[in-house]
Amino acid sequence: MNLALSDEQAMVRDMVRRFLADRYDATTMAKGPMSSDDWRALGELGLFALLMPEQAGGLGGGAVEVMIISQELGRALAITPLAEAILLCGRALAADQAVGGWTDRLMQGDALLAFARGGEVVDGRLSGLADIVRDGVNADAFVVETEVGALLLVDVQDSGIRRIPVRLVDGSMAANVRFDAALAQPLTAPASLWAEAHTLAGLSIIAELVGAMSTLLDLTVDYIKQRHQFGKPIASFQVVQHRCARMYTWLEQSRSLLLKAAMVGEKERTRAVTTARAYIGDTALKLAEEAVQLHGGMGVTNELAVGRGLRRVLLLSRLHGGGIAARSALAA
Amino acid sequence: MDLSLTKDQQSFREEVRAFLAASLTPELRRGAELTSGVFAEPDIAREWQAILEEQGWLVYHWPDHAGGPGWTPIQRWIFEKECAEAGAPVLPGMGLKLVGPVLYTFGTQAQQDYYLPRLRSAEHFWAQGFSEPGAGSDLASLRTRAVREGDHYIVSGHKIWTTQAQYANRLFALVRTDAEVKPQKGISFLLIDMAQPGVTVKPILSASGDHELNEVFLDEVRVPVSDRVGDEGQGWSIAKFLLENERGGSSFAPAILADLARLHTSAGPLTGELADRALRLRLEAEALEMTELRTLIEIEHGAAPDPRSLTTKLLASEIRQGLEALAVDAFGLAGLQLPGERPFYGGDMPAPVVSPAAQVAAARYLNARAWSIFGGTSEIQLTLIAKAALGL
Repeated sequence: MNLALSDEQAMVRDMVRRFLADRYDATTMAKGPMSSDDWRALGELGLFALLMPEQAGGLGGGAVEVMIISQELGRALAITPLAEAILLCGRALAADQAVGGWTDRLMQGDALLAFARGGEVVDGRLSGLADIVRDGVNADAFVVETEVGALLLVDVQDSGIRRIPVRLVDGSMAANVRFDAALAQPLTAPASLWAEAHTLAGLSIIAELVGAMSTLLDLTVDYIKQRHQFGKPIASFQVVQHRCARMYTWLEQSRSLLLKAAMVGEKERTRAVTTARAYIGDTALKLAEEAVQLHGGMGVTNELAVGRGLRRVLLLSRLHGGGIAARSALAA
Repeated sequence: MDLSLTKDQQSFREEVRAFLAASLTPELRRGAELTSGVFAEPDIAREWQAILEEQGWLVYHWPDHAGGPGWTPIQRWIFEKECAEAGAPVLPGMGLKLVGPVLYTFGTQAQQDYYLPRLRSAEHFWAQGFSEPGAGSDLASLRTRAVREGDHYIVSGHKIWTTQAQYANRLFALVRTDAEVKPQKGISFLLIDMAQPGVTVKPILSASGDHELNEVFLDEVRVPVSDRVGDEGQGWSIAKFLLENERGGSSFAPAILADLARLHTSAGPLTGELADRALRLRLEAEALEMTELRTLIEIEHGAAPDPRSLTTKLLASEIRQGLEALAVDAFGLAGLQLPGERPFYGGDMPAPVVSPAAQVAAARYLNARAWSIFGGTSEIQLTLIAKAALGL
C-alpha cells in the first residue's frame, strides 16, 4: 500500500496547479466557463492526450491521472467540460480510426464535443430531442447515445441540428438539442471501454467536488480569521471553530472515498466510484452550504468565490442523479 | 499509488485467518457478540488474552524492543481487521493499550521488568485513574493529592468513571504533587496497588444496567516513590502521550463494518428507511476505514501522523451510535428488552425474545451513548481538530 504519486503524476499535478493558479484566484474562481483559449492551452500542455486511451493516440492515463487533474480543476473552481468531452466523448471515439480527425482535435483542445442522450436512428439519420446537453451550445460535434444504446457521432455542421441555449446554475451553457434526420456516424466503442468511460467520468466529477470542497474550506477558514465581530475575529468563537472542524471531517472522509475509488483494482472501480458518489454527492453540497453560512451576508452574494462555488458544487453534485441515484444503485 | 497488499502481507493475512479459525472458539465468539459494554468481561477476556499471549500476538501493537512482534502498521491493521471480522473479543485496553506503552516509553528498567510481564500474563489487571468528579474535560484541574513522605507518596482523592475497576488490582493515576505551580506542571503519574488499605471501589451502574464504571476513593494510600513513572510534574505530558496513543494506533472502522454486516444477518433483510440508514452508515464507515488506513500507510512509509488522524474518534463515535440505534429500530419491540441479568451470554439470562442479538440491542444502544463522552468528548475533539488541522 502506497499513497505517493509517481514523479510523473506529481509533475502533472504541479503543472496543472501552476497553470490554474495563474488564471484563477478568489476574484475569478467560478465566474464562468473556462475560455476556449485556456482550454486549448490545456490541450497543448498534453493534458487531454494524457487522459485518452493509447488506441486513440493518447497516453492512456488511468484513474489516478483523472483524479489528480480533476481535483486541481475543482480546487480552482474552474468550469470545464473535462468529464464529458474528454473522458466520455473521447472514449466513445477511441475505437474508430475513421473519426481520427476529431480525436486529434479533441486532444489538442481545438474541438469541443458534447455528450447527448436520446433520439433514434432511421437509415443512418438521427431524429429526436436531447434536453440539457451540457456544453451543447459551443460543441463542434455530439456523441449521442440513442434510446436503444447505439453510439453515434453527429457534426454540428449538419443542417438537421437545432440548439436552444440553456444556462445552467454554474453559469455553463447547455443546450436543448433537436436532431432532425441529422447525418450520424456509428461509433464502435466496445462495451468495456464505454463502461470505463462512465466510471472515469464519474471519478472526475467526485474529484472535482473534493477539490472544490478543499478550496471552500480554505476560503472559509481565511474569512473567519479576518472577519471581526464583538471586537474579535469570529474564528475565536467555539461554535464557529466546531463548524469548521466538521467541514474538515467531511472533506477528509470524502477524500478517503475518492482515493479509494482511484486506487482500487479495475474490477472494483465502478462500485467504488458509486460508493464515493453516494457519500460525496451529499457531503460536498453540505460543506458548500456551511461555507456560505460562515461567510454571513457576503456568502449569499455573487461577489465572493464561495457563493459562486456553491453554484458549481450544486451542479457537480447533482450530475448523473447525484447521491440519490448512487445510493439507489448500491441498494439494488 | 497502490492499495493492494504485498505477497508477504497476503500470506500474513492468511496466517492470521488460520490462527483465528483454529483458536477463536464458538464460546468466545458468542461471548464477544453478546457483550454489551465496551470491553469483554474478564471471563472471556482472560481466556482470549492467554491464547493471544501464547501465540505471541497479545502485544501486537508494541514495538519489538518492548516485547511486541515487530509488526508494521499495515500488519497491525490486517490483524485488527481479521479479528473484527472473525468476531474476536475486545480486550480491555487500560493495561495493553494505555499503561503498557507508557511503561515502555517512560518507565525505568525496573518498572518495565516488573510490570510488563505481569500485564501480559493478566496477573495485573489495570484501571485508569484520570477523571475526577470535578475534572472531566478539564482534566488538569484534578485534585487528588500525593504528599511525599520519605520513600512514599501518601495519596488521597476521588477518581470516577473508572472502567472495570471492580476487577482491577492496579491503578495508574494522575495525582497532584505540587499545588503551587501551573495546574499542568503539578501533576505526576503513579502506579497504585489497589489491594491495600485506603482503596475503596464503589460501583456506578450504567443506564443499561451494566456495571462497567466505578468510583475509586483513595484515602491516605501509600505508594512507593519507585512507582512514579517519569519525573515529578511530568504526569501531564505522559497523560497527553497516553491519550494521543490511546488506541496504540488501533483502527475503529473494522469493528464497525463487521458489526454492520452482522446486523444485516441478525436483523435483516433491512428495507425502506432502515436500509437507507444502514447504507449511509456503511458509506461513513467505509470512508472512515480509508481515513484510518491513509494515516497508517503514511506512518508505514515514515511520515508523522497527519492532523486528519484526530477526526477518527469523533467519527467512529457517531457511526457507532448510529449503528446501535439502527439495531434497536431494526428489531422493533424486541429491540427494547432489557433484562437485568448479566452477562448476556451467561446461563442466568432469560430466554430472548426473537434472538440473543435483539436481547442485547438496547443495552448496547445505551452504552454506546458513552462513545461521544469517554476519551475526550466530541466537543473536545472538534476543538482539537479546529486547532491542529485548521490553525483555529
